Amino acid sequence: MPTTKITIFSILLAVLFISGCSTSAQVQIDSAFPTVVSKPKAVKAAIVFTDEFKTYVATPNRTTSIDLGSAQTELLSNAFAGLFRDVEFVSTAADVTLENALVITPSVQEVQVSTPSDTYLNVYEVWIKYSLDIQTAGGDPVDSWFMPAYGKTPDSFMLSKTNAIEEATVIALRDAGAKLMLDFYRIPSVYNWLVREQLLDEEQ
Amino acid sequence: MNKLLALCCATLLAGCGATTTIDEYRPNNQIMEINSEESVVILGRRDAGHYDTDREFIDCVASKMEGADIGVFPEQQFVDAIYPWFEPRTAPKGLKRLTRLMEDPAIKQQIERNRIRYLVWLDGSTKTHDKGGSISCAIGPGGGGCFGFAQWEKSSIYEAIVWDLTNLTEKGRLRVDSSGTSYLLGVVAPIPLLTPVKNDACAGLGTQLKQFFTLDQVQ
Repeated sequence: MPTTKITIFSILLAVLFISGCSTSAQVQIDSAFPTVVSKPKAVKAAIVFTDEFKTYVATPNRTTSIDLGSAQTELLSNAFAGLFRDVEFVSTAADVTLENALVITPSVQEVQVSTPSDTYLNVYEVWIKYSLDIQTAGGDPVDSWFMPAYGKTPDSFMLSKTNAIEEATVIALRDAGAKLMLDFYRIPSVYNWLVREQLLDEEQ
Repeated sequence: MNKLLALCCATLLAGCGATTTIDEYRPNNQIMEINSEESVVILGRRDAGHYDTDREFIDCVASKMEGADIGVFPEQQFVDAIYPWFEPRTAPKGLKRLTRLMEDPAIKQQIERNRIRYLVWLDGSTKTHDKGGSISCAIGPGGGGCFGFAQWEKSSIYEAIVWDLTNLTEKGRLRVDSSGTSYLLGVVAPIPLLTPVKNDACAGLGTQLKQFFTLDQVQ
């Protein structure tokens, strides 16, 4: 092999190695989420997914960005459909057509990421802090519910930073769905509203 | 001289064996029947903050069970099929919570549709401790090599709890405790003498677990 070719090959190899050491990560969440197994309650709700929420890109630090928008919209749409029998998804509160319904506007308060180099633990972790602004269809506030979600990789062995953060984010999103399904009807103000509106079944 | 060398090798290799202890508990001597259309799902506990029951170990135990013609339902498929009720936050830790979950017709229907008869919870981890010695490697224009000696101890502790999803009862518990020391010798080339602690734990647990079940052939 001529010397020029060897040099080019060596440079290419070196560039590949160095790019492998890059510390920045642009994460796109492409995973599909499973359908929720649940019997929805006879409650009506309108979910306001703002354009900001649907296209949300988290930047937990200077070197990491996570495109969460479409994944979180898909996951929460699925979870809300498992909570309410009648549910509509709108872009602004003004578009709500349901009467005697809850109007829920989710938003992301903060996303945090920790890597093995930050914590000296052998895992990548992701925290997503959601806030659900809950109102009645008439515009009366019911509650503003803080909903944290957490995900971590089992370990960091043979995982690139991008893949590891994606895996931890998917687990955090699934955790958000689980938290919502488990705790939504336990929010005292929501429960009281259901009692006031006589929307609870006898069995509940 | 050759005999001495062989003796040294045999001593070293013998030192690479893991010590495995298995404890079994069953509330009664009732056999656990499973027919060829039913399956077992093996799930790892993932709610502890400082460790996850690793998927590699779960897959290993599942493969031992499958070797005995017992149908094993894939873990991730099961967790997805009844999402979100077996996520780390929501998974039942006891039979009381499982019973409440099974009262939900949607969940019960999913389990029945997938013909899952038994659920095996696996909880535990493999840890490395008591590291000692040192080994260093160097490379130069004239060649390279390693010199030194290192050793470490590994221990695998796992517990399996078997739940019957039809009767909603606990059918038994197994605990495997495996430990052993591995060595790395640096004699120009590094020579690893590894003790397969996790593999031994998996083989022990898998073999014992499949003896729990009696395969009942459907006519």
